[in-house]
Amino acid sequence: MKKSAPLETACRQYEEDLVLHYYGENSDAERRRVEEHLATCDCCRRFLEDLHGLLPQMADAKEMPQTFWDSYYRETVAKLAEQEERKYWWRSLFKPMRTWMVPAFGTAAVAVLIVGLVFGKGNLRLFVEPRPERIPQEILADEKQLEFFESMDMLEALGKLENQDDQTEALNSDSKHAALPGGVA
Amino acid sequence: MRDEELVALSQQGDRHCFEILVRRYMEKAYHIAFNFTRDTETAKDLSQDAFLRAYANLKQFDGRSSFYTWFYRIVVNLCLDHARRRRRVAWESLDYTSDEPAEQRQLADSTYAPDQQAIAGEAKRRVDKTLETMPKKQRTAFLLRNHQGLSIADVAKVMKTTEGTVRVYLHRAVAALRQSLVEFV
Repeated sequence: MKKSAPLETACRQYEEDLVLHYYGENSDAERRRVEEHLATCDCCRRFLEDLHGLLPQMADAKEMPQTFWDSYYRETVAKLAEQEERKYWWRSLFKPMRTWMVPAFGTAAVAVLIVGLVFGKGNLRLFVEPRPERIPQEILADEKQLEFFESMDMLEALGKLENQDDQTEALNSDSKHAALPGGVA
Repeated sequence: MRDEELVALSQQGDRHCFEILVRRYMEKAYHIAFNFTRDTETAKDLSQDAFLRAYANLKQFDGRSSFYTWFYRIVVNLCLDHARRRRRVAWESLDYTSDEPAEQRQLADSTYAPDQQAIAGEAKRRVDKTLETMPKKQRTAFLLRNHQGLSIADVAKVMKTTEGTVRVYLHRAVAALRQSLVEFV
């Protein structure tokens, strides 16, 4: 800080405008008004010079070496990663799965399917073929009656066959008697 | 790539884009924190915390203001919170840390005579003390405008106040600093 002497006092009504003038923050009209005043007022001019001498020095920043900024950046990036990791902590539960559990689960599923197909082959029909519908009692009774009538038809057919056999035998015996000489007429 | 684009991509979860913003603003963030705390490590921690908070709350950033004014507000709020917790800001000296080489501590040119340096040192201490005891809004406005070079419009956005109010804060801060040096010698 170069100045050790007290700052000059400015005209009270211009003091705020001079501060803004120093920072270049006043409007064009204000700037013109201040500059016109500065041309005639030594105190305000010295006040402004003092601001120019004092304020920049107060703003002097300590220059940090590049290594500091490299380290700063690395640390910040690491902290950001850590913060994100904490925010999505539940992802870590699934993290091991990504490497080995997915193929392991896939292999196990295929193995279970194969075992099921091999050992459950007999039972598979149960699932594939539909079970026969249950026949009502009335129909079952009719079914038995049907069988009965069928058996009766069969007996009748047998009877007819037997009659045919008898007739055939009778014809044969008649022809034999007729063929013998001196046979009985 | 512009800030707006980087912010938009970061909001979609692209941390790499936010890391570019970190690199872009880390020096400014650090210097703001250092101006408030006057401590290298604390400034580093606070400014890094500001990046973490910004990233965590990035979805709340609606783009109505520029990213840096929004981010500066986070830094300033963290610094003020820190000062509140510590009850006092470490504004012991503008001479930085004691382990700093003497030639770096010298704000003025090397042709300064020892007595002038002593006077300048005393002036700096007065300035520090004034800044320390200054109302925090005045100090914030002064530091952002004088030390960080923000325009009064941007300071107003950071502080969520009007430009007129910032002008008043700035003038009062400069007036207080001037007063401290008027009494000097």
